[in-house]
Amino acid sequence: MPNPDMRPGDVILRCERLDRTFVSRDAGENRVLQDINFEMRKGEFVVLIGPSGCGKSTLLNIIAGFDRQTAGRALIDGRPIAGPGPDKAMVFQDYALLPWLNARENIEIGLKMQRIPAARRTETALRYLGLVGLAEAAERPVYKLSGGMQQRVSIARALALEPKVLLMDEPFGALDAFQRAIMHRELVRIWRATQATIIFVTHSLEEAVFLGERVVAMTPKAVGLTGELRIDMPRPRDPLSPEFAAVKRRLYEMITAHLPEEVDVFAD
Amino acid sequence: MSMKSATADESLQTSLPKPAAKPAGASAGGTALASLAPALLGLVVPGAFLLVWWGVVAAGVFPPSVLPSPFTVAAAAFDWAFGNPQNGGYSGTLAQAIWASSQRVLLGYGIAMVLGVAIGVPTGASKLMGHLVDPFIHLLRPIPVTAWVPLSLVFFGFGFKGAVFLVALGSFFPIVVNTIEGVRGANRSLVKVGRMLGARGWRLLWYFILPASLPSIFVGLRLGMGISWVLIIVAEMMSVKSGIGYTLLDAYSFGRFDVVIAAMIVLGVMGFLSDRVIVAVQSVVLRWHREVSIHAES
Repeated sequence: MPNPDMRPGDVILRCERLDRTFVSRDAGENRVLQDINFEMRKGEFVVLIGPSGCGKSTLLNIIAGFDRQTAGRALIDGRPIAGPGPDKAMVFQDYALLPWLNARENIEIGLKMQRIPAARRTETALRYLGLVGLAEAAERPVYKLSGGMQQRVSIARALALEPKVLLMDEPFGALDAFQRAIMHRELVRIWRATQATIIFVTHSLEEAVFLGERVVAMTPKAVGLTGELRIDMPRPRDPLSPEFAAVKRRLYEMITAHLPEEVDVFAD
Repeated sequence: MSMKSATADESLQTSLPKPAAKPAGASAGGTALASLAPALLGLVVPGAFLLVWWGVVAAGVFPPSVLPSPFTVAAAAFDWAFGNPQNGGYSGTLAQAIWASSQRVLLGYGIAMVLGVAIGVPTGASKLMGHLVDPFIHLLRPIPVTAWVPLSLVFFGFGFKGAVFLVALGSFFPIVVNTIEGVRGANRSLVKVGRMLGARGWRLLWYFILPASLPSIFVGLRLGMGISWVLIIVAEMMSVKSGIGYTLLDAYSFGRFDVVIAAMIVLGVMGFLSDRVIVAVQSVVLRWHREVSIHAES
């Protein structure tokens, strides 16, 4: 771990009065995020939910260092975020694996960029491939793997960096419903095994309720965080249980309450 | 209505039993013929061409000294390759000529490849480099390389260096332009990944951007190789006293059109073979690209 002094429960990520305004020549100013205050503790699993265009990906990109806020501060481990780096590893929706490398090499390349010696790179890569259940596929080219397997490699690549926060941008959006259900269970297992700190962006209520310890909602009109829900349901959670449905309803009401009129924002 | 009936037909078809397989012997013969057929088909037009050529010569449309028959050309090529004291100065010199031209092409093309990629990658990756280098490349590019011959003669003289210079200059442009475009078109999310993994500067270029641009770079490499063979002939006709291009022009001045045509055929074969070499390298290096492209067999 990059910081051995950190203990579970310590604040690892803090956003203070975060603003993001895009300025374009034809559309003028477009304020996507306004006055975002958000805090996250080490080991937490937070789901960021909201319909398309609510700014959740923008917030994630600022935390990842791919984008910069126009005002306010974003701190990881007490230090301002300045550009992308391995301490805030991202899992992309399109996997973004390097197609010219095999599964193991895709994980090793990140460790190589950290100037970790070759022998330790291989050992670490194989360990994380084992963690995501892909030990057998280490030497296979990634384009031969299924979507779900490719996303496992991408998760292993991010975890191998031992990031302070693991950012997941709708990572299972391209998978079919069955694969997605498997990956949800896998992710919970991996989270528990690694005690990683995870921010998971989605627009699926079910995904949010299944995964999140804490769900933070965003809506396009409010340009900010509109509500927060702590989910204490025991795991494994059963998506078909009445408790699950009740939490889902509460979350739905929390998000739609901030919409100007009754529109089904979750109709896919 | 028509759509509805089409789907109905389809579902019907999928539930119907498949037609019984043909007897094994017949189907094996069929596949062997089917795999041979494209190769045979490819020979039809060249065969017809040779036949027309031969017919025109046999009919005496042109004097045989100007248009020799395919057999005369084949004999000239044979003598050129394996020697025949009766056949004058070209006897047995083919290997030398091929070697002379090939080494100029290889050196000039090698220089163009190294410079083209080394200049193209940073030019495509950096906005500043793009603004600095791009306009210059696009101003130089439209100047036909043959127009550089006088300057080449002044600076590099008659011979090896001048020929290498022309080949390098000519093949440099397709390579550098395709490298720049390849880098600019490189998958954005792979570059993002590189930065997330902590790669900066040269390491980002080398491990992420360069491999992602290789498909486009190989297009430039193939175009550059084609141009190399054009320019080596130009150079050898104008300023060098050896090689296939020199033999071709020399044979013309002695009225040996059988050797001229044989030299043309040798050039065609050399160009074809060098392209095959690049394609072979490409199919190994870019295996991943073929697998993810639309031509991948799933």
